[in-house]
Amino acid sequence: MNGRPVADFALVDHHGRSVRAEDLRGRYLLVYFGFTHCKVVCPRSLSKLSHILDMLGAAATEIAPLYITVDPQRDTPAVMKTYLETSYPRFLGLTGSAEAVLEAKSAFRVFAERKADPAEPDGYVVPHSAMAYLMNPDGNYCAHFLDSEDEEVVRDRILGAVNQATVVSAGER
Amino acid sequence: MATVLARPDVSWVEATAELDDHQAGALRRILNLSRQLTGDWSGMLSDTVMGESYGAFRFQLAYMSYALGLAHAHRLPAAPGVFHKPFDNLIQKMLLPDVWAYWSNVSTGGGAVNHPMGKLEQRWDPIAEDNIMYSAYVQSMALMYHYLFRDDKYSKEGSLTLRLETHTWNDGGYCFPYDEKSVNEAVYWQMAEKGFLGVACEPGCIFQICNQPNILGFRFHDLIYGTNFAQPAMEGYKNAWERFGLVDDAGDFQVVYLTFTDDVLNVASAKLNFWLMTLLHSWYPEIVEKNYATICERYIVDGPDGTKWIRPKKTIDNLGDAKLTAADMGWAVCTASELGDQAMLDAIFRYADRYQNPVWENGAYYYKRQDEKFNEDGLFIGMDPHTGNALTTYARLNVKDGLKKLFDGPWDDAHFSEPALVGLPDFVDVRRALFSNQHNALALTLGALPDTKSIRLEVRAPAHNGVPVLVRDGEIVEKGVSRLEDLLVIDLDLHEKTTLVLQW
Repeated sequence: MNGRPVADFALVDHHGRSVRAEDLRGRYLLVYFGFTHCKVVCPRSLSKLSHILDMLGAAATEIAPLYITVDPQRDTPAVMKTYLETSYPRFLGLTGSAEAVLEAKSAFRVFAERKADPAEPDGYVVPHSAMAYLMNPDGNYCAHFLDSEDEEVVRDRILGAVNQATVVSAGER
Repeated sequence: MATVLARPDVSWVEATAELDDHQAGALRRILNLSRQLTGDWSGMLSDTVMGESYGAFRFQLAYMSYALGLAHAHRLPAAPGVFHKPFDNLIQKMLLPDVWAYWSNVSTGGGAVNHPMGKLEQRWDPIAEDNIMYSAYVQSMALMYHYLFRDDKYSKEGSLTLRLETHTWNDGGYCFPYDEKSVNEAVYWQMAEKGFLGVACEPGCIFQICNQPNILGFRFHDLIYGTNFAQPAMEGYKNAWERFGLVDDAGDFQVVYLTFTDDVLNVASAKLNFWLMTLLHSWYPEIVEKNYATICERYIVDGPDGTKWIRPKKTIDNLGDAKLTAADMGWAVCTASELGDQAMLDAIFRYADRYQNPVWENGAYYYKRQDEKFNEDGLFIGMDPHTGNALTTYARLNVKDGLKKLFDGPWDDAHFSEPALVGLPDFVDVRRALFSNQHNALALTLGALPDTKSIRLEVRAPAHNGVPVLVRDGEIVEKGVSRLEDLLVIDLDLHEKTTLVLQW
């Protein structure tokens, strides 16, 4: 009973394909929740995480970077495809029904709440956690990273998790 | 030919601090309560055992444990033997259903503030969701214990199990197994899910004050395990509260955010301001120091003969005068201790010593429960067990920046390898316990006993350090120390106050 995040979701990717968390077992997941209309936090975090993935070199191939929307009303697969392929091509976008997104948020213990904002084109924003999750190949929680953490620190922590698992795996053989 | 030992110069010891009578008495009060048998809450009972009030058992146990931690870290760092078992006793008491079963009622809602949420489903597990007013104390106490004593007892699965055994209902009762790591994560992820604004106490009510102990706990977790829980929580907390400001327009710290109105509710309470400042100072001292003087001016008034006091105020209108407590003053004196405001601390204690039922009892100095609220001059004379047992002892034993220094840490390997007093009889008061690297010596001052008693002290000291010379009140004691594996054993008769120096 520790309340840790778990990778448990049934969503649609930005190509329109159904994706369940179980489909991605066997790879690490680097998961970030946000929304494409986010003006500051998401662009900053996604840029930073993309750079960290670059810094990881070959180890990045073991990781599936996911961007899960907290704004399914506006973030259709097509909108996410354009947004990610234009600026953050390493990430696969995931969206779905409001209920499916809520379940994913709940599984990851993510904070995101819709707030009215007349200054926005559709009259609302969705403030959310600025946090990335590293999940292991079994879908269990490994670590989380704040947007404010140094890129080198995050890179080293990801490498540490991946390398530790590799050592254990080799030892088991 | 007999070897004549050169007498070491131990005059430096007298220049170091020791506990005064009131401080030693305050410490004794906590030690005495910690040793009461399971289910014996004598001296800790207030007007109800329903566990709803700010003076409930959990708050007394928690702040007595924090007081032990502060006293060990800052006053008697070389005497873990004084604190280790009593601290553990307080944690064990915290796990008793007498302390947490109130949650089965409180979880159903219908409180003075959260009644708009309607009737809620009853919950028994006091850690899984909400109820940070309990879970954060279990978490921070267990982790502070691990950190201070390097004792991993509560890291083991099920070591913090909450068990309620019933015989006449509910098929035998309830059992909720936790440990320090699972409690820590249970609290952390609830906080994360709320954008770090905090975890609710009673449903729907996120109090600032009740989300401070968990941050302290996160920090100890990080110090022990090398994790990174505290920084995200602190950063997220500041960001989340930015929407309202930590301090309201009137200059009071915000009290509570209500999830069902999406807004804050403030009650302008001295107690809640000072309580928050005491804890918040550990990690956000700037905002506390900025607001302290103004808040003191607003709530603290002059009493007779250089005393200071606070007229208690009801936080909820429909409660009677019976609910007025001394906790406003208790928390004010705690804040004064943390900020090193000695003049304020002295003035409040002068008031308490004059009007609020101080007693010496079994070697302990404390303020005994007094239900009469005001004297004929209109001065507040009430005393409650929370203030009398926990808050006043905390303030006496704390030092300037005490909680902040404990938060900053860390006690490193060097500290834990230094010689230290680890075993002594329960009835012995330790007034001084420090190891000086400069003098390569351990100094211990023991309080007087009513009658002469033969006692044994055990000192942790690695064998390779050899056997030190024992100096008692300035005189060398030949063959005063013997070795038992990694322990040094000192047998002596004790009556008058005595200072021992083990000189390597």
